[in-house]
Amino acid sequence: MGLDSLDVFLRTVRGDLGLDIAVPEGADTALGELPGWDSLNLLRLVALLEESGHRVPVHRLLEARSLREVHTLVKEYG
Amino acid sequence: MTKGPDRLRELRERGLLEKAYDRVPALLADEDGPGDAAAAGRLLAALDHDAVLGHHPHTPVVTVAVTGQSTVGHVVDPLRGELARHGMLLRAVVGEHGTYLRDLTDPAGELRAAAPDLTLCLLDAETLFSQVPAVWGPEDVERAGEEALDRCAALAAEAPGTLVLNTVPLPRSCSHQLLDHRSRARLGAVWREFNARLLRLTESADRLVVIDLEPLVGEGGPVTDPRLARHAKVQLGAGLLAAYAREIGHLARAVRGRVRKCLVLDLDDTLWDGVLGEDGPDGVAAAGTLRGEAFGAFQKCVKQLASQGVLLAVSSKNDEGLVLEALASHPDLVLREPDFAAVNANWEPKDANLADIARTLDLAPDALVFADDSPAERAQVRLGAPEVAVVALDAEPALHVTRLLADGWFDTLRLTDEDRARPGEYRRRRERGALRAGSGSYEEFLRALEVSVGLGPPRPHEFARVSQLTLRTNQFNLIGVGYTEAELARRAADPGRLLLVARSADRFGDNGLVGAVLGSIAGEVLRLDGMWLSCRVLGRGVEQACLALLLARARELGLSAVGARYVPTARNHRARDFYPSCGFTPADPGGSEGSADGPVVFRHDLARLPQVPAHVRITETPGGGLADGPR
Repeated sequence: MGLDSLDVFLRTVRGDLGLDIAVPEGADTALGELPGWDSLNLLRLVALLEESGHRVPVHRLLEARSLREVHTLVKEYG
Repeated sequence: MTKGPDRLRELRERGLLEKAYDRVPALLADEDGPGDAAAAGRLLAALDHDAVLGHHPHTPVVTVAVTGQSTVGHVVDPLRGELARHGMLLRAVVGEHGTYLRDLTDPAGELRAAAPDLTLCLLDAETLFSQVPAVWGPEDVERAGEEALDRCAALAAEAPGTLVLNTVPLPRSCSHQLLDHRSRARLGAVWREFNARLLRLTESADRLVVIDLEPLVGEGGPVTDPRLARHAKVQLGAGLLAAYAREIGHLARAVRGRVRKCLVLDLDDTLWDGVLGEDGPDGVAAAGTLRGEAFGAFQKCVKQLASQGVLLAVSSKNDEGLVLEALASHPDLVLREPDFAAVNANWEPKDANLADIARTLDLAPDALVFADDSPAERAQVRLGAPEVAVVALDAEPALHVTRLLADGWFDTLRLTDEDRARPGEYRRRRERGALRAGSGSYEEFLRALEVSVGLGPPRPHEFARVSQLTLRTNQFNLIGVGYTEAELARRAADPGRLLLVARSADRFGDNGLVGAVLGSIAGEVLRLDGMWLSCRVLGRGVEQACLALLLARARELGLSAVGARYVPTARNHRARDFYPSCGFTPADPGGSEGSADGPVVFRHDLARLPQVPAHVRITETPGGGLADGPR
């Protein structure tokens, strides 16, 4: 799954986690402010990224404050 | 690998997921092995349950409370996916991190208030290691284990619904902090003693299930992901949780009485190596050759299942004579003709054969599991008999056992004597069939059958069987619901209520506990709250005999009437006329409840009592003590 584009990344997260995320505005929303977001969703996001072949250090993902920051990590670690 | 989830995504994008929920089990039945239930569960997270139930009102909703030592929310996605695979809906209630003791014991807490069918309390290495000092030895772990066991035993008595604990795999990252082999061995022993004693708790706690994680770990997958364990307090790895969720899916099916009863097997390249019609009886093997031995092992596994009450049947494209000859005389076989409740060897399509087997054995098609090595036959059955569960075997017979057991189709909470006796019962059924064929009329047959019935309260050990009967009975289940063992015990202990069970026998042998009646007495009226009769004895007058006796006793007790209720379900329409046929009349004729598919309330004024059918001998049996029933 090519997640390099922010739009594709946001749409994938929206689709697979079933969250109501605006594209692309949702990228900068604080995670805690996203409708339906909770800590479990962060863990599901970790699983989703790993299933798509992206190995970002878990602690860095857990520290991310927005989906844009998560996406930056995805690009950084590949 | 993610074919199933892809199909779900497609349905969701088209807004059809709720409407098509009845198709989800088929979409997730992955021919190539376990699909990705976690991904499926994630996609189903936003499912609108009310909409699903609007389209498919009979979809079972299973309430599962989840709590545990560490972060446990992770198990919900795979669990939702597993329940979806079995056509059920998950209603999950998840506890807070680290609060399992409070979650499970606080009567006002969210988990208990949800009245869960299953309560999962996930234990992990931290259950023990959080209780040892910074520098520890095996004796510290031993002490922590004993304390944890005491807590678990107390929880087993407290938790609502069925409590599910699990054994705890010992992580290498713990064992290898001990440098000498002697201490490591001691830790290993202490650890396994903890797990063994945990498993043994199930011997005394009726509503406790302990899932043994060791066989699941043995199938592969790390016990833990150290990153998630450290950073997010998720102690059990995704692979292990997926395997655990799979087991819970089977358990949820068992708790809901959705247990399959009959295994239908193909023969050529399924039960033996080779094709009987081409290779001849001497050309097929189930022993003596490398491949043959694998088929022999599969037959032994099947026989083991049969010994615990699974009915066996054959559906094979072959000439019947040749098959019967092979089953009678082939030297390799572990399974013989008498092991099978039905042998269908013919050239008809297999979906029709399965329907015929279900009819012969008086089972619904959704009680069957079909195992075949041929993809074409499996596809034909999936299409033509979608209620039948299909086990995909292939050209590697060494995997037959693994594949047969993968989905726990026949898993049950507790085996009853009736389960063990079932295959013998079906043999006697064939003998009854022969008597029927030789009798002039059905009445003559019934008279020759010499039916006897004992009606009375259940004996203490029979509650498991009564629960199983209420949960599994579909056709003669007048209110469409079933009860757990604990619920039945509670009702039986209530002086205002009545729980009676019926045991029957005939000239061919004992049928065991075949019926149950739940009632309550309010003022001068006996109300029948529910009635169940095993389909094995339908049509023999057992239900009429029980009701006639009950009504007679009600009149003797000076009651003024007996009330009863019929709630239609997808399966019980044949029982709709039962109460009227025994002289009951609708309590509210023309009222809103009298509509064709709504519940109906009946009443019997006890003026003219129905007769016990002439061919049935009914007696009252004492319960609760050591009495041994009617025979």
